[in-house]
Amino acid sequence: MSKAASMFHPKRLDLSGFVNTRVIRDHNKRNAFAQMEPERQALRYIIRNTSLPQRTRAQAQLQLSQMHCYTRPTQIKNRCVASGTARSVFRDFRLNRFQFRMQALAGELPGVKKASW
Amino acid sequence: MSQSRILDLVKTQCRIFSATFNPQRLRLGNKILRQRLRGPTLAAWYPTKIVSFRDLQNTYKPLGLTTFDEAEDDREEAIQITKLRGKGRPKKKRTAAESRSAKKKK
Amino acid sequence: MFLGTTRSLVGASKRLWTPISIRSLSTPNQPSAPSTKTSTTAPQIKAEPTPTSATSPTSATPMPVKESAAFEKPPVKEWLVELWRSLTTLFNVLVLIIFLFLEYSRSDRLADLEKNARLPRSVQALYLRPLRRKAEHGLPVCDLQLRSYSAENLEFFADFAIRAAYYLKLPVSGPVPLPRITQRWTVIRSNFVHKKSKENFERITLRRLIQIKDGHPEAVQAWLAFLRKHAFYGVGMKANVWEHESLDAGKALDASLPEIQKTVGPHLAQFGQREDNKRPGTIFDALDNARYAEPKNL
Repeated sequence: MSKAASMFHPKRLDLSGFVNTRVIRDHNKRNAFAQMEPERQALRYIIRNTSLPQRTRAQAQLQLSQMHCYTRPTQIKNRCVASGTARSVFRDFRLNRFQFRMQALAGELPGVKKASW
Repeated sequence: MSQSRILDLVKTQCRIFSATFNPQRLRLGNKILRQRLRGPTLAAWYPTKIVSFRDLQNTYKPLGLTTFDEAEDDREEAIQITKLRGKGRPKKKRTAAESRSAKKKK
Repeated sequence: MFLGTTRSLVGASKRLWTPISIRSLSTPNQPSAPSTKTSTTAPQIKAEPTPTSATSPTSATPMPVKESAAFEKPPVKEWLVELWRSLTTLFNVLVLIIFLFLEYSRSDRLADLEKNARLPRSVQALYLRPLRRKAEHGLPVCDLQLRSYSAENLEFFADFAIRAAYYLKLPVSGPVPLPRITQRWTVIRSNFVHKKSKENFERITLRRLIQIKDGHPEAVQAWLAFLRKHAFYGVGMKANVWEHESLDAGKALDASLPEIQKTVGPHLAQFGQREDNKRPGTIFDALDNARYAEPKNL
């Protein structure tokens, strides 16, 4: 079994906008997860199914734990699309708080206005 | 009404509405099967690549049309100038013996 | 509005007419009339040169003295001034008459136009409230929710949708203003530290609900397709469509079974096991084989 993360690298970079090593890595993890998700779900089903023999379930557990770490959903981290920052990213806009503020003030986010009440 | 009659009723009900008949309430992991796949939505987080100038070039070059990429031309010219000044990039070391670190150790 | 102005002008002219005639006939000495009256009427008349020679009409203080003198024996100078004044008033009146004549002809022409030519009914309807069909049974068929951040776009498109429904003969109710969705975010102003200085942003989503009642499903689909084709910028749409089935759904399914079998049959015929692929023993023998028993390696 090869543990190299390079197996998930695409041949050509298919990202636009802000690109960063960490952004590329996260993107690769997302792709890897999307690719292996059916298999992961199948293994999880076998593990949870108590009507199956114990041996099968243990084997499935082992297989799941030995899958590449890039295929785990917990590896995925939401990063800012415009700056690559991983902290305080709004899911609605996929933007970091500061990028959100700049773009909102520039009027690039539809409907977002300065509020006062 | 007896217990068995009720069970039969539930069984028929499950058959008709294609549900799982599980009177002992065993954990069958159907929860996992019911979940939708999150992969496609997660993979679509970052904006994908839009058409670049190089793609245009690749499509129009084979047709015998000329394209001009000024930025690329400038880059190549700068590389030529640095090479003439002897400031170009060093040659790639193919073997371990050629590498700089190997020389230093000796 | 146009007619209104002309009417007011006519009224003013009537008011103007009477004092002038009285003054010019009976009391030629009364100096107050022209300027005060003209000041209340239209600006054209006001612009006319009012005679302010020896006896200014606005100056009230010397009047009584002059009046008493005029009763006994009007001097030549006074008489000339009086003539001049009456002439100018006559000129004023003439100008007014010409002006009124022009105005009258214009309004007349417009009235003629209104009488003989009109806009098409569909264009006229745009200036009125949208027409609606009356629901016969009141059975809801389709819920369309419109969402936008700007009220103008939303109102316009809701109006458009209702008019489109009228021409498709769909009874419609709405637009019902649904509660607004207010989202607020508070962010730190700076990109680094300075946590106490913050800024608030908000996004208010306005919603309108349009409900179609007892329309034909095809007409509803046509309506939705039309709205999608002419989608307005900045307005989102979401439709819930309900279809109603008769109580004999099972019978209808049974009746359609032979038809379905005819179409599905050729596809199902392609499924099966190949003849040369058959092996001795059951599938469990194969599964118990050592090759299958080994855990799969990723």
